[in-house]
Amino acid sequence: MHMEEIAGNELAIEKRDQAVLELADFDEVVRVYRPRILRFLLSSLTDRDAAETLTQECFLKAWNARAQFRGDSSLSTWLTRIAVNLMRDHLRSRSLRFWQKTRGNSLDVVDVSDWVPDGRSSPEDITLARHRVAEVWKTVGELSTHQRSVFVLRFVEEMELEEIAETLNMNLSTVKSHLYRALAVLRERLGGKE
Amino acid sequence: MKSRKDTVENPENESGREMREMAEAMSLYRSAMHHIAQKHAETAAPWTSPERLAAEARQRARAHRMRLVLVPALGAALAAAVIAPAVGHLHHEKAAVARVEPAPVRPAAVVDDTDLMNQIDSDLTQDVPDALAPLADLSQSGSTNQSTENRNAQQK
Repeated sequence: MHMEEIAGNELAIEKRDQAVLELADFDEVVRVYRPRILRFLLSSLTDRDAAETLTQECFLKAWNARAQFRGDSSLSTWLTRIAVNLMRDHLRSRSLRFWQKTRGNSLDVVDVSDWVPDGRSSPEDITLARHRVAEVWKTVGELSTHQRSVFVLRFVEEMELEEIAETLNMNLSTVKSHLYRALAVLRERLGGKE
Repeated sequence: MKSRKDTVENPENESGREMREMAEAMSLYRSAMHHIAQKHAETAAPWTSPERLAAEARQRARAHRMRLVLVPALGAALAAAVIAPAVGHLHHEKAAVARVEPAPVRPAAVVDDTDLMNQIDSDLTQDVPDALAPLADLSQSGSTNQSTENRNAQQK
């Protein structure tokens, strides 16, 4: 037991050092994590322009705060947390509320025109797959901010529930609750279309 | 193929089918989002670190300062290089023009020699100006004296 603890601590220190070392080459950090952050923001905001702007801001913040990064969490978690905070600020801003009101329920249709799902060759299959993606996209856009973030982190970013809780600064039970509700809405929407 | 009756009679099958469809839809959604994000990341403007931006800004500022100093200096040098020879050239042209300027062409003498001689004679026989009157007297008296001496010599 004692040996396991020591091994665990050593592993944690090694991971921390690795994360700090990884941050030293910031251009590489951007290259590796940019698609991920952009994906999270795009899925969460369903707004391409805002997602791109916030992705840029996220890395700028990370750059400015890189001296404070101690490697307590993984670099991915740290960057995602910055992105989540930026997204919350963005959603709170009055200008966005105005645009949300203006837009109403008409969400941007996800551009998947050149996306071909794996293992599907017939035009019917591809059309059906795109239709399903559009349905999920629309439903995700209708979720609350917390539900959406949890859903995207779990099913798009494939993060563990504990990591999601750490990223969103939530209890594990709260994360589970949001995920359960998000899935219930999705199930209702997708089931209702059958 | 499952009949409607089977699914109604067996809710577990129905639930399982729904879950499978949901899982498939979410898998497709994940795949599509990865594709879109990758595409956008490739087309997005390349990241430039603030450090590099600052370095570039410093470099631009230095270049600007250099321009501020060099441009007037180069301008002055250029002006000196262009204007001075131009002025010199103008001066040279003027001089050349002055030198090459042809002498006024006088009309060929159409006066006859006899007329010319008469003209000279008349000029010489003109009245002596007042200012030269005493000299004229002297010359007259000189000539009187000479004629008197000649007469005396003949008498002797």
